This record gives sequence, structure tokens and C-alpha cells, in this order.
Amino acid sequence: MQEMEIKDIICEENKVYSKPELLEEVHMHYCPGCSHGVIHKLLAEVIQEMGLTEKTVGISPVGCAVFAYNYIDVDWVEAAHGRAPAVATAISRLWPDNAVFTYQGDGDMSAIGTAESIHAANRGENIVMVFVNNAIYGMTGGQMAPTTLIGQKTATTPYGRRVDLNGHPLEITNLMAILDGTCYVTRQAVHTPAAVRKTKAALKKAFENAMAKKGTSVVEVVATCNSGWKLTPEKANKWMEENMFPKYPLGDLKNTVE
Amino acid sequence: MKEEVRLMKGNEAIAHAAIRYGCDGYFGYPITPQSEVLETLEELMPWETTGMVVLQAESEVAAINMVYGAASTGKAVMTSSSSPGVSLKQEGISYMAGASLPALVLNVMRGGPGLGTIQPSQADYFQATKGGGHGDYHLIVLAPSTVQEMVDFVGLGFDLAFKYRNPAMILADGIVGQMMEKVVLPEQRKRRTEEEIREQCPWAANGRVNGRKRNVITSLELESSKMEEINNMLQARYREIENNETRWEEIDVKDADYLMVAFGSVARICDKARELAAEKGIKVGIIRPITLWPFPTKAIEEAAKGKKGILVVELNAGQMIEDVRLSVHDSLPVEHFGRMGGIIPSPEEVVNALEEKIINK
Repeated sequence: MQEMEIKDIICEENKVYSKPELLEEVHMHYCPGCSHGVIHKLLAEVIQEMGLTEKTVGISPVGCAVFAYNYIDVDWVEAAHGRAPAVATAISRLWPDNAVFTYQGDGDMSAIGTAESIHAANRGENIVMVFVNNAIYGMTGGQMAPTTLIGQKTATTPYGRRVDLNGHPLEITNLMAILDGTCYVTRQAVHTPAAVRKTKAALKKAFENAMAKKGTSVVEVVATCNSGWKLTPEKANKWMEENMFPKYPLGDLKNTVE
Repeated sequence: MKEEVRLMKGNEAIAHAAIRYGCDGYFGYPITPQSEVLETLEELMPWETTGMVVLQAESEVAAINMVYGAASTGKAVMTSSSSPGVSLKQEGISYMAGASLPALVLNVMRGGPGLGTIQPSQADYFQATKGGGHGDYHLIVLAPSTVQEMVDFVGLGFDLAFKYRNPAMILADGIVGQMMEKVVLPEQRKRRTEEEIREQCPWAANGRVNGRKRNVITSLELESSKMEEINNMLQARYREIENNETRWEEIDVKDADYLMVAFGSVARICDKARELAAEKGIKVGIIRPITLWPFPTKAIEEAAKGKKGILVVELNAGQMIEDVRLSVHDSLPVEHFGRMGGIIPSPEEVVNALEEKIINK
């Protein structure tokens, strides 16, 4: 048999995947093993495949994803901590043909920005809210989030979260699902290829809803923060499956647009 | 809509002026004594006529961040509130200053601190002119003394905000917000089209059409040398605004022995006090700063030459007086007369204060 050369293998005909053009050719600041990179890539793919590059305005949060605007090549507005849904509300109302999405962490969505998040969703703003829940404050060094699990150790719950001291984990996505303004509320993850495909489908549906003015779509992505959790990427995925998923089970919580 | 003469409250006039200016959006939260702004807008339903968006937000915090978002896209948008609500807006105002965004904020001041009173006050002078939120920044601050100026400063505020890409504030006292006066409403201007906005605001984040590079609106820069460059750029802008946009009104300054410095509706009380003083043979001139920032420092320094003293009259414990003193470098006595708690001094009280604190001292 004739020996194959590398150029025979790496060629256009054999191509099964390419990086979306909207994803910038830069190093991300995220830690190895972090879920943000995959979620960014999925957003870039969905926006590009839906032909929304010229219509999209993203709202980046305060938290690890504050620099999301360095990675996805669309227009961005960087919001104050928790205020992304208010910022998105105004942009969507004043540019109704645009695709407007927020990208928020657990602190942004369910602590400091609870009021803005609930009210934007309750008004049924035609926006996509991407909610990355890793049960910890990554950017500031691993403090407790509203979604931190009971018993979970963080920089501000060094002996584990206690109900009597810290209250209960906040399931804000469940709250979002009971609001009349939301049309699609789902909880996904990106820890396996199958989960990644489901999350991409969820994001696509959410953007379709926004463009069709069906109301607010919330896509929660249960995510790892291996640095904050002090676990290797592999162990973080396992810890997420064993501890996060029972509290935050994956699947659609609401879908009024079939 | 053609130019029109009407009788109305200052707060109502703001709503009419915003629509007629071609304002794209208003986001607000009710608070006394300025709720008529939102009420009037909801009653006039401009979304049916000019297409202006009006939204009652869930809080002052949300409202100012809606303004931040809309301003990021190049739209001409505004919010209004009163003192406790404006305190809540300071975060968003600082972010807009940091991100170089044009927008208009109206503060119809009530007494404080805290929940204070719903009666008129001028106690937010420091907050409006010295920063208010965090970081080194300035707003362009306009102080109306009549309902007509409430109308005029909507247009002026937006024009200056867009000219310098900097938020502007109308700092009105509760008197100007609540009193009714004759007012000339300007002719309806067309709102800018999306194409016009894209042309006028190439920096705006409203979708990167025609393959242009992405626009990012942010106030964040973690590299110290770059952040200092941004700070220096902002400071250069403030110097430019100081050079070009300082506004004030002078009444009988030239022949006066004494000066009164007052802003907003208090300047009108001082004008009456000037007449009463003249009947007693006391020659008083008035300087009314129209822009509180930039402050008319040079005008006051110039006007003070050869004068025997200055009385600064404010509805607070003495705030603008600091800027007046800095303007005249201790070259003559500068004293303060103010009432608080929502009490408005009479012209007679002002004349008495001039005699007690300056003339007979």
C-alpha cells in the first residue's frame, strides 16, 4: 500500500469541523477546563449559522465573562454588574429588528441582578438570556454564589455552605419558568459532546424566539469552574454530574413555542 | 406639531420637550416631585406619533441602565428622577461617563439626606457637579430657573451630550419642576433614522452592518497605561467643555457694590431681592450660573473686581459657595444664605441676610 502523506489526510474533502469565523483568533483568558469557551463557541456558531452577525448585540456581564466581547465578533455592550437585562431591554426595544442577548453568570443573574433579570423576563422582552451557572464566583476568587450548593466549600463558606448561615441555593431558572413573559426556559450543560449539541440546539431555539418576538428565552448552562472548585477539569465534570445535576436537573423547564 | 404657547408645569414641559426634540426613549421610575414627567409621556403616547419608546422601569437602577444600553446604540435617550432616585442612578451615570456615552438625566431635587422631604431643595449640587458616582468624571450640568428653560435645556442637554459624547444633567429644584408658567414649545423635530444614527455615531453598538469592525461599549481597561490614557482623554474633553460651554446670566453686575450668586429658581428670588435692596439704596448685581459644571469661575472672578462682598444664596447648607470662593481667591468677603427642609426664603429674608452677613459685618 502506498504510504499516505499528511496532506492527503488534512485536506478540504476530509474536513468535518471548522471554527466559526465569528470566534476570534485570540487566546481566551479562561482557565483550562472552564465551560465558557465552549459556550462562546456555540454562540458564535449559532449567530453565524442563523445569519445574525449584522443584527446581534451582546451584553457582557461583570464576572469571568466580562471579556466575552474580545472573543465573539459582534457588537457588544459591557454592562454594570447585574444590569445586563436592563441594558438589553432598551436595545431590543429601540432596535426591534436586532438580536439581543445577555450573557450572565450566577452572581449577575441571581444575586445583584435578580430584579433586572426577573423583570426583563416578566415583561417578556424579546431577548435571549444565557445564564452560566457554576455555583461560584470565579472572577473574584471563588466566593459563594446564590447557586452554591449546601455543603459546598468556597472562599466565603470555607467550612461549606450552611442553610442557617447562608440560606438556600437559588433556583432562579425555575422562577423564570413561571413568569408569563418567558416562552422558553431550559437548563443544559456542555460537559459531553451530546450535551454540547443539545445546548447548541437550545441556543438556536432561543435566538429564533427572539427574532420571532415570542418573548424571553432563558438558557441556563450548568457549568464547571475547576479553578474555583479546586478540581481537575475531569474531576470537575464528574463533581458537576454528581452534585450539581441533582439540584439543577437538565432539560426544558418551559417551552410554549413548539 | 408647530411651535405652540402653553401654560404648564416644569415637569410636564420636560415631557413635551423630549418628544418635540425627537428623543428616542425615556426610561423612568416614579418619585415625587417629578412623577409628572413619566405620567405626561404615558398620556401623550409618543410611540404612536414619533415612535419614541417610553418605559416604566422596575427601579431607578434599571432605568439608568436602560439609558446606558440605549445610549450605547447611539439613540438619544433620557431618564428623570428626584434626589433619592438619582443617588441610585449614580452607578449607571459613572459607567456612561466612563464609556463616553451621550444621554440626558433630569434631577428635580428634593430635600435630604435620606428620604428627606418631597419639598424643593438644591442640596444635590455637590453630587451633580463633583462626581456623584465613583471615578474621575464630570457631567455637563444645566440649572434651569424657568419652565421655559426646562424646555430649552432638553434640546441643549442632548446637543451638548452628543457633541462631547458625555452625559448631561438638568439639575432642577422642585420649584421649577412643580410650578406652572407660560412656555413656548418648539416645533416637532424628526427623530433620526437608523441610517442617520449609524452615520452620526460610528462608535455605537447597534449591529456591525456592512462588515464593519465590531463596536464594543465598555468602561473597563485593566492595563494601567491604557486606563490612564482613557482618563487623560476624558480630562482633555472636560477642559474643552470648560473652554466652550460655560454659561451664566448677569443682571446689573457692572454698577453694583455687592453681588449675589444663585442658581435655578433661587436666582429669581434674588432678582426680587435686588429690587428691594435698590429701594434701600443698596446696589446689588446677580450672577446666575446656568452651567453648574463647567462653573463660570472666570465670570465670577471678573465680576467680583471692585465689589464689597458676595452673598451666595442656595436651598442647602452651603455647596456652590465653595466654587464661588475658589473663583475669587479670598479677594472679598463671600457669605452664604440658605434655607433647608423645603423652605423657600422670601426676597426680604435675602436682603436681610445681605445686610447682616456682608454689609453690616
